[in-house]
Amino acid sequence: MRGRTTDVDFALIGHQESWRAAADVIAVLRGPERTPVPDDEIKDILPWIPPRAVCHVDIESILGTKSGRVMSGVAKARGVYIDSFIPPDRLEAAYVHENIARVRRAAACAIKAGAKIVSLGGFSSILIEGNFDQLPERHATVFTTGNTLTVGFIVQGVKKMCALEGRKLERSTLLIVGATGDVGSGCARCLAPLMRRVLLSARNSERLRRLAAELQADGVRVEIATDLRRFSAEADVVICAASLASPSLLLGRIAPDALVCDAGYPKNLSPSAEMPGATVFFGGLGKITGGMSFEPDFHGILNRHPFPDVVHGCLLEGMALALEGRFEPFSQGRGFIIPERVEEIETIAARHGIYLAPLYNADGPVEDGVPCQPEWREAAILGRHAALISVAR
Amino acid sequence: MEPLISVNCPSIECTSLSPSAPIWQDILAQAVTGEELAAMNYVSLSEICDDPAEVADALQHAEGERGHAAAFAAEGRKIGVEAANNVDAKHWKRLREAFLRCIAERDFIGCLIVQEIMLESLAVASYARVGKVAPGSLGETFARIAAEEEDHVDHAMSILRAERARDAQRFDDKVYRLHLDVMTTLAQMLAKECKDGHCEVCHGDCVKPSLFEVSLSAAELRGASLQQYLKTLDTLGIPGEVTLAWITQLPV
Repeated sequence: MRGRTTDVDFALIGHQESWRAAADVIAVLRGPERTPVPDDEIKDILPWIPPRAVCHVDIESILGTKSGRVMSGVAKARGVYIDSFIPPDRLEAAYVHENIARVRRAAACAIKAGAKIVSLGGFSSILIEGNFDQLPERHATVFTTGNTLTVGFIVQGVKKMCALEGRKLERSTLLIVGATGDVGSGCARCLAPLMRRVLLSARNSERLRRLAAELQADGVRVEIATDLRRFSAEADVVICAASLASPSLLLGRIAPDALVCDAGYPKNLSPSAEMPGATVFFGGLGKITGGMSFEPDFHGILNRHPFPDVVHGCLLEGMALALEGRFEPFSQGRGFIIPERVEEIETIAARHGIYLAPLYNADGPVEDGVPCQPEWREAAILGRHAALISVAR
Repeated sequence: MEPLISVNCPSIECTSLSPSAPIWQDILAQAVTGEELAAMNYVSLSEICDDPAEVADALQHAEGERGHAAAFAAEGRKIGVEAANNVDAKHWKRLREAFLRCIAERDFIGCLIVQEIMLESLAVASYARVGKVAPGSLGETFARIAAEEEDHVDHAMSILRAERARDAQRFDDKVYRLHLDVMTTLAQMLAKECKDGHCEVCHGDCVKPSLFEVSLSAAELRGASLQQYLKTLDTLGIPGEVTLAWITQLPV
């Protein structure tokens, strides 16, 4: 890496979603001239790597490129991606303390790098959203879970997909899995008033009751259940925002032609989830159109999507705020995401050219006429094929 | 070489450890060899020191390392095995040669980097892991020596940090050059399987596949050692993204 990770505008804290993704990161660092590390060795080595910076991330706003001068905020921002190296198979509750410790150490790296704002990606934000006091002393660094922009992109995606499919929200029943989480409850507040009926599912029934009461006060028809099979109605729009990967998640009573937004990181649904007739798409993703570069080059490795410059909303929130020059903890805690704040961060993001990414799923784009990067399509087909073989075995 | 059973060995301890004694024998042999090599390195270091205080310090360290080797050998005798020292075994010999190259260049800082940052990371991490699972006094000895080695590192760190403060880029380049030499050998030593033949320290077949019998694994010892090395480099102030690339490029 040419530069050193000091005095960056933003830091992104993340981890890899799968062993394949982790192996690809190691392969880039190892260089093409060396034999790739075998998969079993990756699984042995990665858990021992302390959290640390992996690469620089440079981003540009469309403000600078449109007008040739800065109109507000800044035109460019420099960041660093810090991996917490949480092993992909250690995301369950049994490892929560170990994982919080990793996120804390990653946060310390961000502070040491002089980041003005830090976005907590994927599982990192889930761990910290209720535990902000567990972050190290912050000095001039602020932290955001990034969940508000994630909610914005999920909601935009659901609306867009419904429009593409000719569905009317006001005639649809929405099911949110993981409804009491920060992202799930934010989606509920944004979408519930637009729906015919809302079904909320989560593990904590007390939190479910509180959220239902809040929505009912606004005149929303709400049903809650900790068991997805207990709902009285079928959902035709589903948002999966559970905090844990649930490859065997049974969505229970959903309409045969339901629209299912998988907004989890890692994905809540496995590619082999049996939902014939349903349209699954991934939610919470945005695209930075002003430009993004990695040093070393991790394009397509850290952002494994079929389209270039697509990033998870949680990370984009920190980038948008850095470009805006607003170094503030925009999203903190759990259950505070409201439509007004979503609109505010969407406006900031859009000002800098950060928009909803084209919608896609494990098979590729779900929108007609959106070209997919050829190498991704090939990899996706191979990956899906391998998953199906593994299920068959 | 078959394990030697000492007639002076306390019968209870021998009985409790006997099935795993050949495994401890090989673990102890690596430890004794590492400590003897460290002692030789410190004696060599004393020969390039100009300051009498530094000479005394290096010789004191050498004495300390010999004491560690003796303590490990004594633990072997308690369980009826001989923990042989073989500093001429191929990996250890290469490590010694790397250190001697620094000596030949009268590179005091290079010597500290090799011995205190690289070799001690292996010692501190692996002794600490062994200390957690080894029974009785054997475990206590490993844990105690791990703690003492850590103190060594702390002492050297202040010298190395001051050196880095003078010219960080030059310092980091030197560490990288030595990393390529020394850590490549250590990575081969620590590999899950000895792919390039017998290490010449184990008394029979390679001990690595048997480590699970004493609640250890080669993967764990390697992981802990690399982690300790990375943390030590972090403490020196070398950027984490730089050292991450270094360790991912090591042989596996």
